[in-house]
Amino acid sequence: MTNFDAPGARALETARVRGAQYADVRFEEGRTERVEVRNGDVVTLADETSTGYGIRAFCDGAWGFASSPDLTGAGIDLTAARAVAIAKAGASVAARRFAQAPLERYVDSFETPCETDPDTVSLGDRVALLLEAERSLHVKPEIAVGHAWIDLWRTDKTFYSTTGSRIAQALRQSGSGLAALAVGNGDAQQRTHPGDVGLYQSGGWEIVELAALRENAARIGEEAAALLTAPQCPAGTLDVILGASQVSLQIHESCGHAAELDRIMGWEANFSGTSFLDPAQLGTLRYGSDAVTIVVDNRMPRGLATAGYDDEGARSVAADIVRDGILVGFETSRDTARTIGRETSACVRAQNWQHIPMIRMCNLNLLPGNLPFEALFEDVDHGIYMESNRSWSIDDHRLNFQFGCQVGWEIVRGRRTKMVKNPTYAGVTPQFWQSCDAIADERSWTAWGTPNCGKGEPMQTGRTAQAAAPARFRNVQVGVGYN
Amino acid sequence: MDEAGREDVAQRVLGLAGGACEAIVVDSDVGLTRFTHNAIHQNLAERDTSVRLRTIVDGRTGVAATNDLSEAGLRTVVTRAQASAGLAPRNPNAPALAENPRVAAPPGAFDATLAAVTPEQRAEIAADVFRVADAGGVWAAGYVTTERSGITLANSRGTLSSYDATTCGLNVKVNGADATGYAEFFGRALAGLDGAAVATVAVDKARAGAAPQPVEAGAWTVILEPPAFGELASYLLDHFSAQTYDEGSSFLSDGLERRYAGERVTLGDDFAHPLHAGMPFDYEGVPTRRLPLLEGGTAKNVVTDATWSKRLALPDTGHAEPAPSAAGPQARHVVVSAGEQSREALIAGTKRGLLISRFWYIRPVDRRRTIVTGMTRDGTFLIEDGKLGHGVRNMRFNQSILEALARAEFADTQALTAGYSYSIVVPAVKMEGFHFTSVADF
Repeated sequence: MTNFDAPGARALETARVRGAQYADVRFEEGRTERVEVRNGDVVTLADETSTGYGIRAFCDGAWGFASSPDLTGAGIDLTAARAVAIAKAGASVAARRFAQAPLERYVDSFETPCETDPDTVSLGDRVALLLEAERSLHVKPEIAVGHAWIDLWRTDKTFYSTTGSRIAQALRQSGSGLAALAVGNGDAQQRTHPGDVGLYQSGGWEIVELAALRENAARIGEEAAALLTAPQCPAGTLDVILGASQVSLQIHESCGHAAELDRIMGWEANFSGTSFLDPAQLGTLRYGSDAVTIVVDNRMPRGLATAGYDDEGARSVAADIVRDGILVGFETSRDTARTIGRETSACVRAQNWQHIPMIRMCNLNLLPGNLPFEALFEDVDHGIYMESNRSWSIDDHRLNFQFGCQVGWEIVRGRRTKMVKNPTYAGVTPQFWQSCDAIADERSWTAWGTPNCGKGEPMQTGRTAQAAAPARFRNVQVGVGYN
Repeated sequence: MDEAGREDVAQRVLGLAGGACEAIVVDSDVGLTRFTHNAIHQNLAERDTSVRLRTIVDGRTGVAATNDLSEAGLRTVVTRAQASAGLAPRNPNAPALAENPRVAAPPGAFDATLAAVTPEQRAEIAADVFRVADAGGVWAAGYVTTERSGITLANSRGTLSSYDATTCGLNVKVNGADATGYAEFFGRALAGLDGAAVATVAVDKARAGAAPQPVEAGAWTVILEPPAFGELASYLLDHFSAQTYDEGSSFLSDGLERRYAGERVTLGDDFAHPLHAGMPFDYEGVPTRRLPLLEGGTAKNVVTDATWSKRLALPDTGHAEPAPSAAGPQARHVVVSAGEQSREALIAGTKRGLLISRFWYIRPVDRRRTIVTGMTRDGTFLIEDGKLGHGVRNMRFNQSILEALARAEFADTQALTAGYSYSIVVPAVKMEGFHFTSVADF
C-alpha cells in the first residue's frame, strides 16, 4: 500500500487555506481482474488499475467534492481548490444547511480476511477452471450459451481528515459464477449459480472455491434445459419458500433501500426515490413478523461491504434495523443521523476514489431462524419454492414489489414436486415481511454479495451484502405478469 | 486532456507494446450539482483520464487498463496486457485489427461554452429551479450536470480517430403534498439548461396531479411522454445486437425481414441525428453506420462488431463496445421516428386513457417475449373525452413491449431522453391495451 501522507497533508492544507472549515481526502488504489469464458472462448482477460483521490471540503454548511488522478502537487492543489469552490458555490444559494463538520479522529488500519491470496493462483489456473466449468454446462443441445466468470478485486485506501484521522484499509473481494441459457420450444430460459449473479464476498481465492463451479455446472445446465418444457408456474394466493439468494434480494430491495436515511429525507427523490419509512415510526412500526430481525454488521468477516471504517471516516458498527419485527433503526451517515438525534451507523461508501461518498446499505443481514431448511416444506399444503432472481421491480417508495425467479418447484402437501417455469410473486413490503413465519437455520445462512447496486447521480455501483437463509412466506400473490 | 494529448498517450503506449494492439484513451470531466428540498446537498466534480490497451498475439487477446499515464504506468499496462494475451487460449475466430478511416464528429457534438461551465453557473441554474418551486409552494429534487469528454482510439494498423463532446442535463422532480411532477432536458449545449422553464413544467404537473384518484387496473389506452417511452423502449435495445439475435434470446431471433411491431413503428441507429450528435466510430475504430433496425414494424438489421460480423458474415456496422465486451455489439444511438399528430392531438383523440409522464424500475419479466414490469411515477393523469383530467395514483404494469407497439401512434416531436444506461431519441407515443396489474395507494 502506497504511503500518501505527504499528498494527504498537502490536500488538507490547501483546502484549509482556501477556506474549508473541515476537509478530508481519500486516496484509493484499485485493481480489478476479470476472466470470462463464453461458449468455450475466453472473451475476457482483463486487468485494470485505477489510482486517484477524492476531496470533501466543508464551507459554511455546504459540502463540495472534487476528485482527480493527478498526484502532482499542482494537481492536488487544483483539486482541493476545486472542492472548496464547489462548496462555496453551493453555500451561496443554499436556503438551508444539511451539513456539519465532523469532529471524530481515528488513527487505525483494517484488512479484510484473505486465506488464499489470488496472486498465488496463476492466470492459467483461473482460465482452466472456467473453461472446464463452462464446458460442463453444455449437457443438453438446448444450451445455446454457457458463461462463466471470475472477478478479483483489491482496494487499498487511506483516509485523512483535518481532525487528524489517518485510516488505512486493505480490502479484498472475490466472486465467480456460471450461467446457462437454454433456447428451444419457442422459449429462452436461464439458470445461474450460485444465486443470480454468482457468489461475491470479502476474501481471496477461497471465495471462488466456495462457489464450487465445476461441481454445479452440469446441474445448472440440466435445469436450464428442463425449464423449456416445464409447465407454467400456477397463479393464485399460495405459500412461498424463497431460496437464500432470493431472500437476499428481497432484503436488499424492500428493506435495505427503504431504510437508507438519505432516501427517507428525500435526498434521492428525483432518481431512486424516497421511502415509505419515517423516523416517527422508529420503535413502533411493525415491519415484519416476530421472526424477522435485520441488522447492519459492517465488520462481519465475509460481507462484500466489510470494512473497518466507512468513506467519511466513521468506525464500522453493528446496529439493528428491524428487531423481532419492529423497525428500530436506519442506515445513516453523520449528517443524516444527526437529524434524528442518533450516531452514524457508518454506512457511507463511494464506488471508488472518483465518486462522492453517500449512504449505502453495506452488510445488511436477516438473522437465521432455528429450522432445518427441509423442515420449511413440512407445513406447506400448496406452495411454490423459488430459487435465484430473474426479475426485480419495486416502486419508488419501496412498497409495491414484483419479483421473478429463474426456477420454481411446486410444493404439495409438504413435498417439493414438479419444476415450474417463470415463477413470479408480488406484495407490499410490510405485509410481506409480516407473512414470514419461518426462516431456516444458520446451516443454510450465506453472506450473499450484490456487486452491482445502483444509486446516486452520477450513478455509482455499490458492493453490498445481505446474509440470508431460505424463508417461508404465507398467502403470497403468485404468478403475476403471466395471468 | 485535449485531442493532441490523448493521441500522444495512445501512440506512446502503442509504441511500447509493439505488435498488433489497440489503445483507447478516455478523458472526462464531470460536474454535477444535486439538490433536494430546494437546496444543494451534493455538489461535485469528477475528473479522470485512462488508457485501455488490447493486445492480440496469434489469436490470443489480453486487455489491461490504467489511469497512471507516466512512463512506468504505461509500461506496466503493456506488461499486464501481454501477460494476459500470452496465457489466453488461441481463438481462431478472433478478427484481426483493421485500418479504419478517420471520421469526423457530427455537428453539435461539442459546445465550448458548456465545456467551460463553472460550479457557480450550475448553482445559479439550480437556484432558478428553487425560485419556481418556492413560488409554487413545493420542493424540488434533481440535478444539473455538465460534462466534457474526449476519446481517442489508435491501433497498430494506423487507425487514429478522436471524438470530443459535451453533454448536459437538468432533471427536476417537484414534490407537492400528495403528488409529484417531473420534467427534464438533455442536450449538448449550455443554452438548453433553462432551470425556470424545466421547473415550471414539473410544478404544473405536480399541481395538476394533486389529490390523485385510483383507477381500476386492467387494459388502458396510454400516452407515454418521451421520458416514459424512452425508458420502456430502452429494454428493446439489446435485442438488436447480433449476439442476442444469433444466440436465441432476442425477439429478432426468429429472423430478419419479419414483422414484429405495428406498421407505424420505425426506428434506427443514427449517431448523427442532431439530438444525439454521437461518436462516429466504435470502440474498435470502425466507422459507425447509420442503419434502420425496424421499418414499418419489420426487422431490417442487427448491429455488429468485428467478431459478430465475421461470425455471421454480415457487414461490420461499427457498434463494438470497449474490450472486453461479453455483451457483444450494442445500438447506442437509437432514434424512434416521429408520427404526424401533435401530442395534444393524440390526447384529443383519446376517449378514455392515461397520460404517463415517467416510469420507474422497469425490468424484464420474460425477455424473449419482451414482457416487462414497472411502475408509473411523477405525473399520471386520466384522459376523458379527449381532455386531460385529474391525477391518478401510481400503478404497476406487466406488458409485452412489442404487443404494445402493435397499435402505436407517435407524436410529431422527438426529444432526447436518458437514463443511467441509455440515451435515446423518441417522440411521445399512444398505445392501446396497455396492461396494469395493480394500483398503489399513492
